[in-house]
Amino acid sequence: MTYTTGMDPKGPIPVSLFFTCLADAFSPGVCSATVEVLERFGATVRVPLSQTCCGQPAFNSGNRKEARAMARKFLLSFPDDGPIVTPSGSCAAMVKHGYPVLFRDEPPTLARARAVGERIYELSQYLVDVLGVTDPKSDFSGTVTYHDSCHLRRGLGVVSAPRKLLRAVPGVEFIEMEESDRCCGFGGVFSLKNPQISCKMTERKVERILATGASYVTSGDLGCLLNIGGLISRIGYPVKAIHLAEILAGKTAGKGGAG
Amino acid sequence: MELNANAFGRNARKALLDKTLQAALGRTTERFLAHRDAAVAAFPEFERTRERASRIKLDVLDHLDTYLLRFIEEAEKRGAIVHVARDAAQAREIAARIARDEGVTLAVKSKSMASEEISFNEALQGAGVTVVESDLGEFIIQLAGEAPSHIIAPAVHKSRQEISSLFERHLGGPRTDSIPELVGMARRHLRAKFLSAGMGVSGGNFLVADTGSVVLVTNEGNGRLGTVLPRVHLAVVGIEKVIPRMSDLPTFLRLLPRSATGQAISSYVSIVTGTRRAGDPEGPERMHILLLDCGRSAILEGKYREILKCVRCAACLNVCPVYQSVGGHAYGWVYSGPIGAVLTPLLVGLAEAVALPDASTLCGACADVCPVKIPLPDFLLELRSDVREQGLKTPGEIAAMKGYAGVMRRAGLLEAIERIAGVLGQFFTKGKGIGGLPYPFSGWTERRDFPAPAALPFRKQWKIRRGVTR
Ligand code: SF4
Repeated sequence: MTYTTGMDPKGPIPVSLFFTCLADAFSPGVCSATVEVLERFGATVRVPLSQTCCGQPAFNSGNRKEARAMARKFLLSFPDDGPIVTPSGSCAAMVKHGYPVLFRDEPPTLARARAVGERIYELSQYLVDVLGVTDPKSDFSGTVTYHDSCHLRRGLGVVSAPRKLLRAVPGVEFIEMEESDRCCGFGGVFSLKNPQISCKMTERKVERILATGASYVTSGDLGCLLNIGGLISRIGYPVKAIHLAEILAGKTAGKGGAG
Repeated sequence: MELNANAFGRNARKALLDKTLQAALGRTTERFLAHRDAAVAAFPEFERTRERASRIKLDVLDHLDTYLLRFIEEAEKRGAIVHVARDAAQAREIAARIARDEGVTLAVKSKSMASEEISFNEALQGAGVTVVESDLGEFIIQLAGEAPSHIIAPAVHKSRQEISSLFERHLGGPRTDSIPELVGMARRHLRAKFLSAGMGVSGGNFLVADTGSVVLVTNEGNGRLGTVLPRVHLAVVGIEKVIPRMSDLPTFLRLLPRSATGQAISSYVSIVTGTRRAGDPEGPERMHILLLDCGRSAILEGKYREILKCVRCAACLNVCPVYQSVGGHAYGWVYSGPIGAVLTPLLVGLAEAVALPDASTLCGACADVCPVKIPLPDFLLELRSDVREQGLKTPGEIAAMKGYAGVMRRAGLLEAIERIAGVLGQFFTKGKGIGGLPYPFSGWTERRDFPAPAALPFRKQWKIRRGVTR
């Protein structure tokens, strides 16, 4: 077996962590896990403390004035060069694709937004595509199935990186679910405005998860996991919704799951 | 067709409880999707063809007036009479006048979404003309007094048993659950209509500018019968359906059936070019083409112009998890699914369909399958922003957004709120999920738990780790 650490031979790489407001408030364990994994692969993690939310809830609900205010704040919070890594496909997609829309009539900000968009990565994307990690060196064990979050898969085109990592964790038995790329019904404001349709979609997702017989469902987006985990917890199924970062950090314990 | 788009939420809830609909929706959309995926996989040039189709359509949008004028000129040269309607009322007026002038009392019609837009059947009935739908699906829902719920499969929401009792009631046939027998009953009934109708009415999938032809793509051949048997043919088509050249047609004929039903080629492609000439064995003696603007030229001027590239293949409906959950009627007008969520507000006015742009999770599956690359999710987002700009958002939502932005602009304030929420959350929920929250979260927690806020948010944890005080 070959071990590639992906560690930069030139020394530590400074990486800025965008921890996301959702993880900050509801699953801080996901943020610590992200830090742990990044440090394991040679990064010095910087955490700008003035960051809050990327503005996606405002943007996706059509409230661009507020979204722009959030986006400006974000741009100010991440002024340095170097990669920005986040444990969220949808927040990364927001910065990359949403900001250029928000600032399309404001050329100077647009240029800055584009530059930040170039620097932002979702965790698995950064590990695999940038650092070339092939062995995540995690000690997680269990049967795991993976849900493609829409924004990670379609927004950022990240499909194989999380799967590669999961398959490479020695204790993980990876089981692909049917319709893994089908929306779980969260959609942020959608789940508030159309809760019944949202739930119907979540139920179908959970059925597919249960059909795999896996003990864990994981994903690169906390939003999906809160949604899926919320249904699982209500029904009381013996499946845990857990963020990919936590698997990569090697947290088998029940605590810290997103559900 | 009656407009009821703002009742999306209510319509959707009803649809979710309709067991027959739920079963029918699952069956049909999944079958179409599986066939589509297989057809696309077996067609290596799909991506290139899609790119070309999109380019041709963009060129059409850039020069729509030129191509339309050319089309009208060529069609008239070949004996067709072309009418242009600004809006639905004018279109109805023209259609009724044509029927009256041509002395028509019975018309057979093949499926056309454009004619649904203008409530064509009512207009003709008002002029004393009986209109019989000749597409099997449309025929079924006409008997049921309903509206189509899917572009390709208009009666997707009906079960075989429902169809059987409709036929028993209206056609006087024996009750049967056998599909071939049901089809036979409809066919016998419709055949007589085809033979006695004075006018055949069709839609049009494409208008070819350089030949003046109307192209019909169907699977039942009823469109062809309707253009060949009756003395008069009337085609009702949106102005955006024009394509520059006959040589562009194959590009679209490759994409449309593959995207719609997963067929490599559809059963019937009729190219109707003008009226019957001396020596022609068949064809209409008189041909009218009714071109509908009905809001399209206004769309052309604005940021949503690419929506006019749509070829009505319904691939975006089939792949849409929201459409799959609630079906077409929930969208409350002619067009449903992602294309309906964008097109309806543009055609009928945003205030009349303000609920539709929200009828999506923005999952992006629709954009993946659209054969002409319409950025449907981007348009949904744009429309949501227009809702705010046009003052159509509820004051509650605006207030909530302002509150959110006010908090999120100050990391310190956010941290303080998180701390309070964390303490309260831990106290009331003991770290478990929250089972019931007040509005607007109440719908969410009806069948799902909401996570309890963390006792120690990450920012705080990090500050502690780094020894940051403040
Ligand atoms: S928007 Fe695209 S996928 Fe949907 S019906 Fe039109 S052409 Fe087909």
